Amino acid sequence: MSLKIDEKTRKIIYGPKGFRIRIPIASCSLAAGVNSVRDAVVNAIESLGVEAEIYRVGCMGQCFIDPWIEIAKEGLPPAIYGNVDPNNASKIKEIIQNYVNGDLSEAMAVRFKVDGVKSPQELTELDPWKYQVRFVSRNCGLIDPESIEDYIATGGYSGLKRALEMKREEVIEEIKRSKLRGRGGAGFPTWLKWNLCYQQKSDVKYVICNGDEGDPGAFMNRLLSESDPHRVVEGLIIAGYAVGATNGVIFVRAEKPLMAERLAKAVQQAREKGFLGKNILGTDFNFDIVTYRSAGAFVCGEETALIAAIEGRSRSRQRPPYPAVKGLWGKPTILNNVETLAHVATIFQFGVEEFLKYGTERTGGTKMFCVTGSVKRTGVYEVPIGTTIRRLIYDLAGGAKEGKNIKAVQAGGPSGGCIPVELFDVQLDFETLQQYGAIMGSGGLVVIDDSMCMVDVAHFFTGFTLAESCGKCLPCRVGVKLLNQILGKIKEGEGKIEDLETLQEIGESIMKTSLCALGGTAPNPVISTLKYFKHEYLEHIERKHCPAKVCQKLVTYVINPGICNGCGTCLRSCPAGAIEGKPRDAHKIIAEKCLRCGQCMIVCPAGAVGKV
Amino acid sequence: MVKVIVNGVEVEVPSNATVLDAAEKAGFKIPTLCHLEGIFDEATCRICVVDIGGRLFPSCRYPVSEGLKVTTESDAIRKYRRDLINLLFATHKIKCWSCVRKGGACTLLSLAKDYGVEAPVVCSECMFFGIDCLVAKGQPCLGPLTIAGCDAECTKNGMPCIGCRGPITSAEVWKSAIEFYDDKVKKDELLSKIKLFWNKYMDMISRYVEVKR
Repeated sequence: MSLKIDEKTRKIIYGPKGFRIRIPIASCSLAAGVNSVRDAVVNAIESLGVEAEIYRVGCMGQCFIDPWIEIAKEGLPPAIYGNVDPNNASKIKEIIQNYVNGDLSEAMAVRFKVDGVKSPQELTELDPWKYQVRFVSRNCGLIDPESIEDYIATGGYSGLKRALEMKREEVIEEIKRSKLRGRGGAGFPTWLKWNLCYQQKSDVKYVICNGDEGDPGAFMNRLLSESDPHRVVEGLIIAGYAVGATNGVIFVRAEKPLMAERLAKAVQQAREKGFLGKNILGTDFNFDIVTYRSAGAFVCGEETALIAAIEGRSRSRQRPPYPAVKGLWGKPTILNNVETLAHVATIFQFGVEEFLKYGTERTGGTKMFCVTGSVKRTGVYEVPIGTTIRRLIYDLAGGAKEGKNIKAVQAGGPSGGCIPVELFDVQLDFETLQQYGAIMGSGGLVVIDDSMCMVDVAHFFTGFTLAESCGKCLPCRVGVKLLNQILGKIKEGEGKIEDLETLQEIGESIMKTSLCALGGTAPNPVISTLKYFKHEYLEHIERKHCPAKVCQKLVTYVINPGICNGCGTCLRSCPAGAIEGKPRDAHKIIAEKCLRCGQCMIVCPAGAVGKV
Repeated sequence: MVKVIVNGVEVEVPSNATVLDAAEKAGFKIPTLCHLEGIFDEATCRICVVDIGGRLFPSCRYPVSEGLKVTTESDAIRKYRRDLINLLFATHKIKCWSCVRKGGACTLLSLAKDYGVEAPVVCSECMFFGIDCLVAKGQPCLGPLTIAGCDAECTKNGMPCIGCRGPITSAEVWKSAIEFYDDKVKKDELLSKIKLFWNKYMDMISRYVEVKR
C-alpha cells in the first residue's frame, strides 16, 4: 500500500481532536452489522468518558475483516481491529479501553508504528496488503466520503485545477502518455475515445460515467463510489473539459442506493464549491452533472445500450456510428467506467510518472480486482496491471478455503472465460487474458474449487446471459438459449458426443455475428470450459457421471450403513418415500424411487448420507 | 460520392449509402431478412453479414466510406449465414402446410434452399413450387414429416412423398403434423408407408401415432 504518511494524512488520521475512531459505513459493512458496532462504540465512549470523535469512512475493500474499526489517538499508532463482533458491546468497550491504556495486542494491524509503543505489524506488512498498490483506492477507508473538505485535504480537485490550466489537446495528450485504457472491460484506449469525441463539431456533448456494474462478483465501482465519490466526480469533470462537453451524466444502478446517494451528494457539494456550474474555477468552461438511477440491466455494460437506457429502453444498437460521434440524444458522447474516471483524476493529481511506475508496456497503471468464490480472503485488491493470477489468488486472497482445491478461475464475469489452475502464472492484462479465452471484464475473479462442476458453471453463466440478453439480435436471443439447452441436456445425462461439436460451432457463430459485446462474449464460458475441461464434459456424456457430484440427475445418494444409527429422520423427510429401514437399523435408499433432491443428506444428524 | 471496393469490384455510391447498396450496385446479392428499406434498419437478423477488415458487420447498417474494402461471400460467411438460418428454424414453428406464403413468397425457405439448410419439411418444397396438397386430398403423403431438400420431385408428379430423405427430429413438428393428418389420412395407410423407409425410427414414431390416433 503506497500510502505516504505525511503531515496532511496524519492530520486526517488523528482528526482535529487528536482522537478519531473510524467506522466504515458502506453497503458491505452495513450488511456485516456495522450499525450495532457504531452504537456500541458511542456507548463505550460515553461510559469511558474519552474525548473521541466518531468518524465515518468508506470501505477498505477487505470484506473478510468486516466489520472493522480503526482507533487513532495522538501519541499511539492508529490500530485496526478486524471482525469486531457486533453483538458484543462489552468487548468493544474493552477494546477501546485497552487501546487508550496503550495495550494494542488485540489489534489486527496498525497503520504505522510509533516509537516506544508496542504494537502489532503494520498494515502494509500483512499478506493482503503486501502486494497491493493503492493508487486509485488510496482514500478508501481513510476519509469521510461525504465530506468534500477532507477530499480536498488529501489533494482532491488539484487535478482539476491542473487540467483546467492546460489546453484541451494537452489534457488528451497527457492521458495518451499515461497509456490509460478503459477499466470497464474492453480496454479501449481512453485518449482515443476522447480524441474522436473532441474532434466532433457540436454545440452539446455528453460525458457519461458508467456506474452500472452488472457483473456478478464485481463490486469495485461500488466500493470506489461509496468510499471516495469525489474522485469519480473530479474525473468526470476533467473528461468533460477534455472533450468540450457541456453535460455529464452519472449512471448508477438503483439497486445500489448508497452509491447513488453518495455520488449525488458529491455532485451537490462540488457544485456548492464551484467545481461545477458556470465558469468553473474562473475559466470559461461550463459543465454540470446529473445522476441518473437506472433500473439496471447487465446489457447496460454495452455503451449503446446504456445510452438507450437513458433515452428509454436498454437495447444495444449496431455500431458504427460510435457513441463518440452520435450518442446520447444523437450528440457526441463518451462513456467511461467509474474506475477509469477515478484514474483520470488521480493521474492529474499525482502526475503521469507516478501512474506509469506500474503496468505493462501497452497498459499503464493499476487495476482493482474483486476476488470472490472459494478463497480465504474475499475482497477488492488493487494491483499493477500485469500481476499474475497466482499472486492475486494465493498471496493476496489467501488461496482455497479449508479442505478445497482450486481448479479454475472465472475471469471477467458471466461473459469471461475459465482459466485453469495450470495457467495461473499468466499475467492479468487485456491481451494475455484474451489469448487464453477470457476477458478482463470489469475485473471480477470468481474462484472455482473442485466441489464445483464445470458443466454446471457453464450452464449457470449461459443462463445468466440468456436472462440478461436484450433479445434484439438473432444469434444472442436464440443461440445462447440453444447453448443453455444443450448444456442442460448434458447435465441431465442425456448429452451426446456430437453435442460438444455443436456447442463449439454455435458458440463461434454467436461470437462472430452478434450485434453487441454481450452476445460476442456470451459463449466464452462454454468455449473456455470446452477447451480446458473437456474431460468433465466427456465424463458426463460417456460415463453419465458428474465428477464434482453437482449435477442432480447424475448423482446417487447412498447411506453408509457403518455410520447410520437408524434414527429415521431421513425416512420421515424423504418426499418420495424412497428410504426404508427399521428403527435403530441402518436405512437404505431405493435408487429407482429416489428423486435426488438431497433432502436426506441435509437432515441426517449423523452425516451418514453421501453422494456417489 | 465515395468509392467502395466490393469483392474487388470498384463502385461509386453516394456518401450516405450502406454497404448493402454498394454491393447491389456492384452486382453482388447479399441476402436480407429483417431489413426493410426506410422502415426497419436495426440489423437484428444478422443474415446480411459481410467481412470488413476481418470482422463481420451487417451490410444493411454499415455506412460506406472512401476506399472501404468489403467481402460479401466466403466459406466462413456462408457457414455463419447457414448457422443463423438454423437458429431461425430452431424457434420457428415449422407448419409449412398451413402457411399462407405460397409459390416462393417465403424468403426464409428460399434462403434455406440456397444455403442447404435441412431444417424444414418437404411441405415447404410444395409451397415453394406451388403444388396442391396431397394430404388434403386424402393421400398418405409423408411430406409434413420428411426433411426437405428434394425439390419435391415426387409431389410435382402427383405422387405422395415416401420419406426417402428421413424424418425430421423435432418433437414439436411431429405433434403438429399428426394433428394435421387427423381425419384426412387413414392411420393404417400412413403407418405402412412409414414402415417402408423408417423402420428404425418406429419407436419414436409409435410414440406419436399410437397415442394421438
